[in-house]
Amino acid sequence: MTAAPSDASAAERPSLVMHCGKINFRNPVLTASGTFGYGKEFDGLMPLSSLGGLVTKGISPNPRFGNPAPRICETASGMLNSIGLENVGIEGFASEKLPFLRRCGTKVLVNFFGTTFDDYVDCGERLGRLDGIDGLEMNVSCPNIKAGGIEFGREPQVLGDLVRACRKVITKPLWVKLTPNTSDIVALARACAENGADAVSVINTITGMAIDARTRMPRLATIFGGLSGPAIKPIALRMVYQIHRAGLGIPICGIGGIQTGLDAVEFFLAGASTVQVGTQNFIDPASAERIVREVEEFCRQNAVSDLRELVGSLKTRP
Amino acid sequence: MRYFDARIIENRALGNGYFVLRLGGCDSLAQSLPGQFIMLRGDWGRDPLLPRPVSLLSVAPEGRADLLAKSIGRGTRLLEAAPPGTRVSVLGPLGNGFPEPTSDCLDLLVAGGVGMPPLFMQAELAARRGLVDRCEMIYGGRTSRDLVLLGEMRGLGLSTCLATEDGSVGRRGRVTAALEARIDYHLAANRQRKLRIFACGPREMLWAVARIAEPRGIECYLSMEEQMACGIGVCLGCAIPARSRPFRYVCSDGPVFLASDLVIPPAAGQTVGSTP
Repeated sequence: MTAAPSDASAAERPSLVMHCGKINFRNPVLTASGTFGYGKEFDGLMPLSSLGGLVTKGISPNPRFGNPAPRICETASGMLNSIGLENVGIEGFASEKLPFLRRCGTKVLVNFFGTTFDDYVDCGERLGRLDGIDGLEMNVSCPNIKAGGIEFGREPQVLGDLVRACRKVITKPLWVKLTPNTSDIVALARACAENGADAVSVINTITGMAIDARTRMPRLATIFGGLSGPAIKPIALRMVYQIHRAGLGIPICGIGGIQTGLDAVEFFLAGASTVQVGTQNFIDPASAERIVREVEEFCRQNAVSDLRELVGSLKTRP
Repeated sequence: MRYFDARIIENRALGNGYFVLRLGGCDSLAQSLPGQFIMLRGDWGRDPLLPRPVSLLSVAPEGRADLLAKSIGRGTRLLEAAPPGTRVSVLGPLGNGFPEPTSDCLDLLVAGGVGMPPLFMQAELAARRGLVDRCEMIYGGRTSRDLVLLGEMRGLGLSTCLATEDGSVGRRGRVTAALEARIDYHLAANRQRKLRIFACGPREMLWAVARIAEPRGIECYLSMEEQMACGIGVCLGCAIPARSRPFRYVCSDGPVFLASDLVIPPAAGQTVGSTP
């Protein structure tokens, strides 16, 4: 076999361009909130312009200092974390972090949350007014203190009300990161779709715990934490597929244990049009860039000229 | 800080689970400071998942870096068994380091068990600068088998004071008792002598060192360890309570901290709240 002329191979270059949740991405690989800091931490480890986009650490109206240690522990093919949503707050974000993000060369989504209903709306509205942000991703996995600490995002009715209230004040693209700690992920996605969300990010971490048998103590100071990493990929794929199959018309950004381009392709087949790389950024800080290359390579090897062909193209037995 | 592939060029067992890994291809670590660390991961699939923070023992020209580890968990057992030629990924150098050796201080390097590497590297730096007589290693472990690389320390011309809990070598008892004795000795010889303490080892040992240093007004630096996933201030897993703000991060604010900036818990038996 002879090598193809360079102009021919350029012509064969598959299109990775993806439109998801009212944002155009040069490729479908983003980095997940809480695993990529505010972007600058990875500057020099990979060209951020190679990414489809990045999602910042979750921002709340005021700075938060987080939970006591130990905050993380490793588990089989995964890790638990209970960081406590530590962040610099809106003002700190706008003054210290945003100037870099404005020139980082990739799409920027800002993850945000509140501790009350009004907090969410206030936070979303204020972030939505800042220049240099392409979209907002709402973290609805926070405990609603007024409702006994149940996550805002766990009840379709509460979630729908929250999305509607935020939608009213946010003109930028609004994504909602769904909690997997539910018996009906489709109901949650539907609540988002019906109340004006532009996309859903699926999934956030799964609540878990780990115990040190020798000390008879939990391994996390807060006892429970969020499980992430390759251990949760089958659950994430299942939830992406369930939402896609329900035909809600809302785009899906798949998240959960993605380590390779092939993992990402599995999410596209299940119905995601973009993906986020999370825990893998800790294991291999240059992995998101590699995953973009591997997705492209997959397309080339499988005669996929446009990645959009793959989205939701899972073949199931009749 | 760089992220790169390196190769194990030598894996030397020291007994009792201790081993020195010599890595090649680490030119990016040449300017590392004593106290800095790397995140190290072998090509071993998904278990263990996360890279491991490892202190540097020594760096040399031609891209060589030495690490001391003890086989304790699955990650270190895999490293212990890794033959020369094994490819590993390295992120580093990370974190800050100890203050530089100076001619007007005597630095007491307090090492507990596998916490010894950054102090060895500090002594090596002092030796390179002709200041090895301005530091002294106080090195403790459970038994003589927990005290390693003693020949290398002697090779630097470093004065060492050993302590073992079972008395199998050096002074019987904890390294902190040896530290107190050395402080008393130096101050008895010269009341004006400026001492600094640099310590690395188990958490309880570090707290005990801080409790010795504080009432004596001795500047004390602790190299801390904590669970971490990233090493670069992103996962925020390695928080430790501090005085100047609620938390500091071992990876990005440390691993070396002034003891006076950390919240030192009271010694067992002391009432809570007896420390400021």
